[in-house]
Amino acid sequence: MALDDDDNPALAAPPPAANTTAATPDAPAEETAEDLLEDEGAAAQDFRVFATLFKKNTHISAQTIRKGEKDFESHGTQLQADTLEQSRAAMQEVLSYTRIHSGANLVRGWYFPDWWADYEEGEEWQDSKAEDGKKERKPFGHIRDRVVILEGSSTSTQNLGRAVTGQAKDRPGRGRDWLLPEEALYLVERGSLDLWWPTREFGEIFPAPPAAPVEGKAPNPETTDANPSAQQADEEEDEEDEYANGFPLSLQAAYALLVGPDDSRGKISLQKFQVYSNLKRCGYNVLRAPPNPPNPNQSSYPLNITIKTFFSSLLPSLAPSPPKSGPLLKPGLYRSYNQIFAQLSLIERHIPSPILPSPLPSIAPYEIHFLVWKSSQKWTKLRHAAPDFYLSVVDAQESEVPQMEEIFGLLEQTPWAPPRKEWEGNHGRLYARLKNGWRNVLMAVVDHGVINYMSRSLQEDCVFPYKAMVPRD
Amino acid sequence: MATSTADHPPVRISLIAGRYLVFDIDAVMVLRRSHGLCGVLTGTMPQNPTQNLFLSLPQELRAEEARMLVDRGAAYIADEPNDHLRLLKEMSSGAGEKRREAYLRELREKRVTAKRLFDEEKEAVRKMHEGKRGKAKKGKQTQKGEGDDSLFFDSAPSAAVQPPAPRESLPAITPSTSNAMLGEPAGTSGAIADEDLPEPSAFYKELNRRGYFTTPGLRFGGGYSVYPSDPFKFHAHYLSSCYGWDEKIPMLDIVTSGRLGTAVKKSFMFGAEREEEGKAKGEGQVRMFCVEWAGM
Repeated sequence: MALDDDDNPALAAPPPAANTTAATPDAPAEETAEDLLEDEGAAAQDFRVFATLFKKNTHISAQTIRKGEKDFESHGTQLQADTLEQSRAAMQEVLSYTRIHSGANLVRGWYFPDWWADYEEGEEWQDSKAEDGKKERKPFGHIRDRVVILEGSSTSTQNLGRAVTGQAKDRPGRGRDWLLPEEALYLVERGSLDLWWPTREFGEIFPAPPAAPVEGKAPNPETTDANPSAQQADEEEDEEDEYANGFPLSLQAAYALLVGPDDSRGKISLQKFQVYSNLKRCGYNVLRAPPNPPNPNQSSYPLNITIKTFFSSLLPSLAPSPPKSGPLLKPGLYRSYNQIFAQLSLIERHIPSPILPSPLPSIAPYEIHFLVWKSSQKWTKLRHAAPDFYLSVVDAQESEVPQMEEIFGLLEQTPWAPPRKEWEGNHGRLYARLKNGWRNVLMAVVDHGVINYMSRSLQEDCVFPYKAMVPRD
Repeated sequence: MATSTADHPPVRISLIAGRYLVFDIDAVMVLRRSHGLCGVLTGTMPQNPTQNLFLSLPQELRAEEARMLVDRGAAYIADEPNDHLRLLKEMSSGAGEKRREAYLRELREKRVTAKRLFDEEKEAVRKMHEGKRGKAKKGKQTQKGEGDDSLFFDSAPSAAVQPPAPRESLPAITPSTSNAMLGEPAGTSGAIADEDLPEPSAFYKELNRRGYFTTPGLRFGGGYSVYPSDPFKFHAHYLSSCYGWDEKIPMLDIVTSGRLGTAVKKSFMFGAEREEEGKAKGEGQVRMFCVEWAGM
């Protein structure tokens, strides 16, 4: 495609590598913001460029990729029609791709929706598990929702799935990794998982490990690692064997089986899945949030703070209320700004506190759905630090702009995260303090597949230097 | 090519958890070329799964878009989860043996094709490498002045590389659609009359009739982003919201949307359908207005 030869390089926009940042909450520089917004939409979907990306010998570097040149309106020329048709044809070509799993990359998953249906939830959460001699609490597993069992593993499945421990030794499929619906669907979508529908019972496909571990592999010669050995057989026979236990499913079938209404076990809503895969594509590590995340700070804080905050909350009511009309500031002689400020303050200051008010205000419509970590080498699915972000998924059609109380309810589900010590002080990191509140939450608003991320944080109302002027009571 | 799609059989719209999805690329192209619908592609691109700029199937449609297509007879809604479960269970038992065989046969054909393509690609890569090696050798040898021998040297290594490759198993594939399973014609299996499907607003229908493409517009602060034609080629001109004919529009809405639209070089368009006697809802005349911020 003569995309680049006949173009004035001066017209070329910066490479869209920068555009990927548009999806993240960090706002880019003001000038480019609108370009990015434009770009993030369909403008960036210049599939012609994308198609050429895959032809390795066309020597297209990131520099030559640029925003598709768009026209203002249709002027009815053949040229315009042709470019459009080229774009559409390129899209058709790119999207016609069929996911192929060859040789070593093949990881197979089986859909067994009811295997963990009766699993007792919460067990792993309550008891701390002994592991490597250390007592360690495992992250909540959502075991009941795990519906796809993995056969083998690969790099892309490393940080996904969970083996359920503490099972009877003779339980079939013991020690295998189980995937949540979003994990399975994400893997299928990116072409890393071959999802199969079983036509036999679970025990037949994953027999219980007998005494000798060697025999354990014998009954299922179709496993990934045994694949090459099956070649000698006649192809027809090979096929017979291959499909004895089940057959592969399409992407459409995977969606049909794994996507479902919010309250159904073993399924995920489409909005949540879209957010999940969007984050995964960006390289974040994402886990489902445990139900009712406990606030670890809640119990560890001494009681006297509660009493203090309780009393301090009473204090403002003792202060004289401002006059209903007329100037706020009473005429008079003032020797200190503090007296003036005190009279100017109309609304009770909010002082963030690690303690939740004992009856939680109505948390109703929003909850934390995902815990998100920036990508890091050290992160593993069982051991990780506190999440970088707490994320709630909201459907744009079914909700209004949240009320104050609803936002508070959501924020109260996140842990206490005061600004760091080094940010404090008059000349401290003001922006860092503004960006990081005392509690933080991200909301992903999904508008028919288009995701908008918003960050909400609980701010002390005086992170500004003004804080220094008003002494705390 | 663009016009030959008119006689496409009704497009299958999968209703999954209250969302309307299209999985078939041919259907997506038909919607784009003949019905002025671009939807939103939401899936991970398997060719390059670590980016968010280019997304792949499935394509998500708004409910009103789905309804408009159904009304035109260009699509039908399928209750995908139940239809799939029913078929899969049937295929697992004896009853669906034929369907299962047909499905596996088609799958196998695809796998054979995939294998052939793979092999061809491998062969091409091998040839290219060989060609390079040959050239390098040739270059060296012509420097030495042994042009005649180069032919011999070239063919020798290639013969050594060429022993018939061990027969590899067919690669596994994941088809994008279940068409092979749903049977021929990709049929109306599982078609339902979706009672909840909302009537498309006259506002939207009017936009579509005039050839405008729309995408969800919340990120720009409105109901739709409106493109004069295919978003591949044009920027959105408007950011639009639809109101009721007698609905009071808060001034603040006009200011906010107007400002937001201006910030992304779009003008804010709002409109409503006039309710007329004797005309059903959605049939009335639609009036639209644009608000643009003057230079400040």
